[in-house]
Amino acid sequence: MKGRALALLLRRADWITFGAMLALVGLGLLFIFSSTHQAGGSALQGLVRRQLVFAGVGMAVYAGVAMADYHRFGTWSGALYAAALAALALVFAVGTRRFGALRWIEVGPVTVQPSEAVKLGLVLVVSRILARPARLLREVRWTAFALALTALPFWLIFRQPDLGTAAVLLPVTLGLLYAAGVPLRVLVALGVIGLLLLPLGWFVLGDYQRQRLLVYFQPDIDPLGAGWNKRQSEIAVGAGGLWGKGVLRGTQNLLGFLPSTVAPTDFIFSVLAEEVGFVGCALVLVLYAIVLLGVFRAALQAPDKLGRLFCVGVGILLFFHAFVNMGMTVGLMPVTGLPLPLLSYGGSFLVSTLAGLGLVQSVYLRRRPRE
Amino acid sequence: MIHERYFGRGFLVVSASLVVWGALGAKLFSLHLGDNEDLRERARRMHQVQREVKAPRGRITDRTGTILAMDLVTQDVIADPMVIQDRGQVPFVSFHAARLLDLDRAALDSRLSRPGRRFEYVSRHVPRDRAEMVRDLDLVGLRFEPQLTRHYPLGHLASHVVGFTNLEGVGSLGVEQALDPRLRPVSGLVHLIRDGRGREVPGQRLVNLPERSGASVELTLDATIQHMVEQALDRGMEDFNARGAWAVVLSVRTGEVLAMASRPGFDLNRFRASSPEERMNRVIGYTYEPGSTFKAATLALALDHGVVRPDDVFFCEHGRWFYGGRSLRDYSPHGDLTVADIIQKSSNIGTAKVLLRLGPERLYQGLLGFGVARPTGIRLPAEESGVLAPPAGWSGISLTRIAIGHETTVTALQIATMMNAIANDGLVVRPQILRRVVDDAGRELERFEPELAGRAIRPDTAALMRHLLARVTEPGGTATRARVPGYRVAGKTGTAQKVIDGRYSDRLNIASFVGFLPVDRPEVTIAVVLDEPGPVHRTGGRVAAPLFAQIAEPLMRYLDVVPDPEPATASARAVRPPGAGW
Repeated sequence: MKGRALALLLRRADWITFGAMLALVGLGLLFIFSSTHQAGGSALQGLVRRQLVFAGVGMAVYAGVAMADYHRFGTWSGALYAAALAALALVFAVGTRRFGALRWIEVGPVTVQPSEAVKLGLVLVVSRILARPARLLREVRWTAFALALTALPFWLIFRQPDLGTAAVLLPVTLGLLYAAGVPLRVLVALGVIGLLLLPLGWFVLGDYQRQRLLVYFQPDIDPLGAGWNKRQSEIAVGAGGLWGKGVLRGTQNLLGFLPSTVAPTDFIFSVLAEEVGFVGCALVLVLYAIVLLGVFRAALQAPDKLGRLFCVGVGILLFFHAFVNMGMTVGLMPVTGLPLPLLSYGGSFLVSTLAGLGLVQSVYLRRRPRE
Repeated sequence: MIHERYFGRGFLVVSASLVVWGALGAKLFSLHLGDNEDLRERARRMHQVQREVKAPRGRITDRTGTILAMDLVTQDVIADPMVIQDRGQVPFVSFHAARLLDLDRAALDSRLSRPGRRFEYVSRHVPRDRAEMVRDLDLVGLRFEPQLTRHYPLGHLASHVVGFTNLEGVGSLGVEQALDPRLRPVSGLVHLIRDGRGREVPGQRLVNLPERSGASVELTLDATIQHMVEQALDRGMEDFNARGAWAVVLSVRTGEVLAMASRPGFDLNRFRASSPEERMNRVIGYTYEPGSTFKAATLALALDHGVVRPDDVFFCEHGRWFYGGRSLRDYSPHGDLTVADIIQKSSNIGTAKVLLRLGPERLYQGLLGFGVARPTGIRLPAEESGVLAPPAGWSGISLTRIAIGHETTVTALQIATMMNAIANDGLVVRPQILRRVVDDAGRELERFEPELAGRAIRPDTAALMRHLLARVTEPGGTATRARVPGYRVAGKTGTAQKVIDGRYSDRLNIASFVGFLPVDRPEVTIAVVLDEPGPVHRTGGRVAAPLFAQIAEPLMRYLDVVPDPEPATASARAVRPPGAGW
């Protein structure tokens, strides 16, 4: 019976990870509110409401994906990947330019960021390719195929330009290659080639991107320009102390030292760090750790390789975003436009993250019984 | 079918990510809780701004409330040369700014052309209407900052008494200097919160020390009387071709200074254009030999001690007397003169002989009692004391010289104070320039009461002297030109030769007249001094006495003093005052 199956599913679900995930989304809403409530008169006023709607949509997607058998996504992975890629290409034709970058497509009242869908599509399609038995992966063509599928969206996203998002694709593919059991020598060879190509990258970068990298290594060269966000963010974190200044009381954010365009998105963690201090940050770290460990547990207990790779891919996506974003906030990483999963404002990203976690839940629900 | 190998890889991935997670936590820990007071401090500094809020300096008014000094709101015009250069607008901006602000265009052009500068005063303390005209042009790279500027509505009037503040707002002359601590405002302090664009966040002031205006000072001066005096001095300067002229008007009972003026003068609003010579308040800052005006005190002392009586006769040697190896001359020769006539005719020889009877010690002590040759204590800066040596330092003829106002120097204010004691029944009152200090809400902070410095002579001697001095302005006296219709005037002329290169000059005089009126109920004492009058007239009776009358006549009307009875009876009473046994 359907009802029976549903009850069984609900009992088998990973409620701990789910709870941590919900907590993070809740915190995100709180601090999006905090970072915008005094921005005054701008379109940012309604951000919380919009994010709430996105969260609802995301939860529906989460539930749908979790209930569905993940193998279906394996089957449809090629089509999903192609669709996402098509949308990404469409950006160049009908996209909307904001803050100097071409990343959005307007669909009625909402604007969609196709690059978020591409990340998930890439996880699906690469996992599908690498899901074959490890001994078959000794053939380098599978690795090359995976890399080729990565390079296409990488190039498109890089041209938007959005180096941060493009960069996310590499660890996803590399991680999947590693987890899938591609021979170490192949991976090492890839690493060496990558290192050799690195210096070339400098010339491909745009001016502002080079500047950001320089600022990372020497924050004081341009404290009022490119170094501004990083510096203000560090100040915000430092000003927080153990318990922070209290919700809605962060001065860096409140007074617009953290520009109101980035405070609810890429720099939401520094808003949080200033307002709820070290304790709040530690809580967020722990919540992420719970989610990530849940994802890895799902990977370990996955009934097959496809499921495991799905989990690994989603886990890498989450981990990479979270680490780079928080690292940037505290000055460990250069400034890149990567949002903080579940917390940052941004509908496409929230929905795609929840979809990814739904996929993991789906795998977990179908885990091997304990022996 | 568990592949051990993948477990190994998975374990590696998980532990690596845990390490990374730990690093993140550690960095957060150090940022949040570590020793980063500097980060916190920097955040504070960025949001909190300390701003000084200026308050106006106190006003200076005369006794009727006429404003002599006040703060006006003006504008500083400030340029950002770099912006103007970037837009290539230097010639345009400097042309219009120079035109409207009366500046030298070429100089402004070069100041605005200096490379790399972000701040340049175009002009400071620009009146509001002018600043508005510049603002209306919307010139690139100019901004305006409100500023408080000291303004003196009556400019020239009482400039030496009022004084001025320098560009830093510190009082540098006159009352502005003497009462600087009172007049000076207390700036307010505001700690405000500003946002990322540097705008103040409303309702978020942390510290709000209110600013406080300086207290206002009310002077004893009366602008109307001051104007009368200054007009008279200006005419005197012109008529008698004098190098300087100064005068002071005292209220007899209180010692209040009703007017104090000095020439040459200057405009307070353009004090930078004035010379030290012009800025000198000669009434308190210039010491001179008082000459015959001194006899009013010396002869009063002789009478007070009873060493002579008014009708005692002295032989005046027909104008030339050898005494102590030196000759002493009279301006006009006389034979026998009574003491009363010695005063009226101003005989040097007679006076010297009278004072020989009094002796050095009593003369010296008596003169100190009159307050001469030491500061009066008026609350104005740069008061000179003058010189009067004690008897131990006197030569054989010193007494005869001091008796007639030589071998001593005084200020006009001291002479006025001295004469005022005779008008005031022998009581010496300290001259006052300040009446009240009032805060900006109108509350009185300080009131200056009349101050008695002591008694110089007995009241009956004073009454006698008033009548003897009244004869000076009557027919046969030296100062008939000091007469004021309707009022009897008492006073004494003085003509002292200036000492040039250690010798008495026979051409350069200090001519003075000091007197009071009405004789029987004195209201005001007036001292008038002219420096180097000439070339036709140079005696006190010819140059200073008329100025006295020019001041006293309108003054009596202004003060609404009831005129004396008919001159005939008054004259008779003058010679034989009731109660005098002669």
